[in-house]
Amino acid sequence: MQALIEARGLSKDFGSLWAARDVSFQVEAGEIVGMLGPNGAGKTTTLRMLSGLLTPTEGEAFVGGHSMQHAQQDARKGLGFLTGDMDLYRRLKPAEVLNYFGRLYGVPETTLKNRVAQLMNAFHINEFADRFCEKLSTGQKQRVSIARTLVHDPKVVILDEPTTGLDIMASEFILQFIRSMAKEEGKAVIFSTHHLDEVERLCDKVLVIHAGRLVFAGTPAELNAQTGKNRLADSFFQLVNA
Amino acid sequence: MRSHIIGTIFRKEMLEVLRDKRMLFLVILMPFFLYPVMFTLIGFVGKSQGEKLNTEKVTVLLNPEAENTPISVLLKANPTLDVKLESFEQAALDTMTNTIGVLVGDGYQSSLDSNRSATVTIYYDSSKDLLDGRVNDIKSSVEELSQDLLLARLNAQQLPQGFVKPIDLREQNIAPQERVIGKIMGRFLPMMLLLFIFTGCIYIAIDITAGEKERRTLQTLFTAPLKVSEIIAGKFLATFLVGVVSATMNVLSLLVAMYIQVQLLSDGKAGEAFSLPIGPEGWAWMALIIVLATAFMAAISIAVVLLANSYKEAQSYVSPLMMVIIIPAVMSQMPGMELTTTTAMIPMLNISLAIGAIFQGIFNVGHILMVVLFALLYAGLALYLASLTFGNENVVTGEKVKFNALFSKR
Repeated sequence: MQALIEARGLSKDFGSLWAARDVSFQVEAGEIVGMLGPNGAGKTTTLRMLSGLLTPTEGEAFVGGHSMQHAQQDARKGLGFLTGDMDLYRRLKPAEVLNYFGRLYGVPETTLKNRVAQLMNAFHINEFADRFCEKLSTGQKQRVSIARTLVHDPKVVILDEPTTGLDIMASEFILQFIRSMAKEEGKAVIFSTHHLDEVERLCDKVLVIHAGRLVFAGTPAELNAQTGKNRLADSFFQLVNA
Repeated sequence: MRSHIIGTIFRKEMLEVLRDKRMLFLVILMPFFLYPVMFTLIGFVGKSQGEKLNTEKVTVLLNPEAENTPISVLLKANPTLDVKLESFEQAALDTMTNTIGVLVGDGYQSSLDSNRSATVTIYYDSSKDLLDGRVNDIKSSVEELSQDLLLARLNAQQLPQGFVKPIDLREQNIAPQERVIGKIMGRFLPMMLLLFIFTGCIYIAIDITAGEKERRTLQTLFTAPLKVSEIIAGKFLATFLVGVVSATMNVLSLLVAMYIQVQLLSDGKAGEAFSLPIGPEGWAWMALIIVLATAFMAAISIAVVLLANSYKEAQSYVSPLMMVIIIPAVMSQMPGMELTTTTAMIPMLNISLAIGAIFQGIFNVGHILMVVLFALLYAGLALYLASLTFGNENVVTGEKVKFNALFSKR
């Protein structure tokens, strides 16, 4: 099976610091991959290189088989990307945000209308559809943001800490949606998180990044086997403290 | 570049602008109401101050030796002067409020009687407008008296008036009234106009660049399958349109305000005189130049404020940018500065001079064409600069912009 996401030796030098060094991995359709690492480990830098926001100093990123460096427009068409650094337009309503990005991604108007209705329904956005985004709660904003990420029905979804700041109900809603889009729609999903329980529940694979390097890539069971621990949290701490 | 993508970005920006009450107030409503109110207020204050200056009484200390002289009679005849016959010291005058000293020199009458010059000295504080005006009145009266005495002397000698004035120099202003108004307008309007355009452009430019970075919405745009040129074109068009609307509103408001003020100052008699020497051709050139000046300012505003990471930081760039606009506009008002082949190439100065020339109704089409071409060139360069800045990796991710790598591609 062809990998929908491929990081091939990604490295990023910020002058005084290599934020990522020779990071390589693949994610296939229907897979959910959790990216773990302490703050400043290089997770966001790696994800930004995958999305094309940052140009790798070395290496190359591929999304849907397209190089993010050499065929960026094609690569981005198949990518839905969300990080904590992305907010919603305050003076737009949720449907206006979705329609705006749908048009920017080139979704035909008739398809877009149905897609927006479907997403607003799936994310229960209709309850607050008439409010401007600046008036939404953190959980409501995150639901709209993820719907925005999916408006063009991408094959690859990258979410950087999607449950940060959310209460338990909102987090569960997001996690269930991540599961359904991978397992029912066959999307390749990478999400970074600090919540190891989320990884245990959802992820097929785990990527552990530490000090800019990928120190583990495999299933949660393989990680536990490698460290000789029973819990993912214990395995993670052993790996990054080694 | 795809026009439908540019249109989508442009429409979204405009929707946000129209929903931003602060922006609407700043760009459209405030100038629309501010100038008529401000000018009307200035008109009223100016008129009442003028009346006060014309009617308020001023004390005139006249030395006792001047009693019963024609000077004394003349001064006493002026109802705005309170004439007191008493000696005064020059130093003491400085401590007295609204007081003028008139000193008729020794031997006044004997000097006149023997066909010599008599001396009259006026002491006053020229920094006070009220005294300045009264001194002019006194000087006029004394000069009239001097003229009468001169005529009497000439008659006594049976000499014609031309004996003491061999050449009667006269001057006649042939400029029509509208050209005079055009000259006044052409002096200060270009600077006002350029500032209005800049104000209109800069705040929306900050909002849709640094403001978006601060609100963390810019990065989302850069993960979509868009070209930098499409993003910059959409944002530029929105900035440009707001700049044009702002300038139009400001100019209309200013013209209405000026009309009101002229009416006030002339008791409603100057309405017909308030016309400008600009024909359809002049208005067309003016519109084209304003559009290009707006394009330049929109592009340069975006290119510069994009470097800021917050609204507050971007606002610190406003003053230096405003200097770039004001200094050439002020230079255009310097004596002898006019639109030539050389000045037509200097950014902003050329715009300011061209607008001034058009207002006066005396412009060279060749020079105006040069201004248009160079304004187009500078607008294009500013837009190119903006697109280079937009493509910078640090700008996109909201990191601190490294100036040494400013134009590096992502």
